[in-house]
Amino acid sequence: MKPVTSEHLSEEALDDVLIGLGSPEAEAHLAVCELCRHQIKGFQSGVGAFNQASLAWSESKPRTSLQLPAAKAGPAWIPQLTWAMGAVVLLLIGASVWNHNPAVVPENPAVALVQADSETQIAEDNDLLKSINAALSESEASPVQQYGLSDQPRPHRRARRESRSR
Amino acid sequence: MATCLPSTLDLGMVPLGETNSIVMEKPRVHTELDDIDSLAHTYRARLVRFVTYSTGDPDLAETIAQDTLLRAYNGRETFRGECSINTWLTGIAVNVTRDHLRTERYKFWKQVKTRGIDVQEVASFLAADASSPEDHVLAREKVKRVSQVLETLSHNQRTVFLLKFSEDLSVNEISEVLGMSINTVRTHIHRALKVMRSELGAEI
Repeated sequence: MKPVTSEHLSEEALDDVLIGLGSPEAEAHLAVCELCRHQIKGFQSGVGAFNQASLAWSESKPRTSLQLPAAKAGPAWIPQLTWAMGAVVLLLIGASVWNHNPAVVPENPAVALVQADSETQIAEDNDLLKSINAALSESEASPVQQYGLSDQPRPHRRARRESRSR
Repeated sequence: MATCLPSTLDLGMVPLGETNSIVMEKPRVHTELDDIDSLAHTYRARLVRFVTYSTGDPDLAETIAQDTLLRAYNGRETFRGECSINTWLTGIAVNVTRDHLRTERYKFWKQVKTRGIDVQEVASFLAADASSPEDHVLAREKVKRVSQVLETLSHNQRTVFLLKFSEDLSVNEISEVLGMSINTVRTHIHRALKVMRSELGAEI
């Protein structure tokens, strides 16, 4: 069993008492031996003081508020479903863009009105462009004509000298 | 042996071995675990103290304590009352700490950081009670000496010592929490006490 010396508890026996595993013999010895009891109490008071001070120190440390998750997450399949729905929406948008035919007159009156406005606008723009072209094409005095310049090729250099010598 | 420790898988932690498996039979009733503020108010300081002295890192202790409380709250359905809440929380804290100490980031910062436990500061928190000024001074000196000797112990010896004498866990509970055999736990306790005795002598 636990080694108990003839006079006092051994270190191992004292340790067993401290950790709550003391033998009945050791407990009986402690009941009559003041020295061994003093050792036990000395340890307990020292550790007790340490526990008290260290706990008070821990309590004095600033406490950060705990951040709980905002809400409990739903079933695990919800994120996958969300992604799947998003993918379907993107596919539908892609398909509609791919199959878009501008010649088709939309049935929606609002769309038709917008398109009619656009055609009207285009016609007006075309008229404007035509008038600009007409204005630009009108016979305006060309600098060639204005200054009496000839657009004919220049005469030969020799002919020019002859004409000067005359 | 019935166990009360949380499943690491339920709490999103790295499995540490067979000792973390759980036997859950009793239905859970409403407990203080359902109120995280009350939980923190009651147990935060103990967790901070345990992790501070177990790791020697006061800054880490606050983070571990918060993580422990959040994991306990989120996994409260797994608590079946087969041990005290304090024991259950301590078990979670041990696992969270172990995971944290494994990370490379912690190893890096541990090398950089020099701030440890200020034993003088801790001792100053000892309440005067009704003892005489001389007794109070002696008690404060004991607090400092115990703190200093704790730092000289190995991590396992220190953790076992704290679980036994500060957290008041039984040897069986410590065995469960740390995943050690009962004999190993007792060996660590004996060695820690031997160091305490040799270092503190007649002071303790």
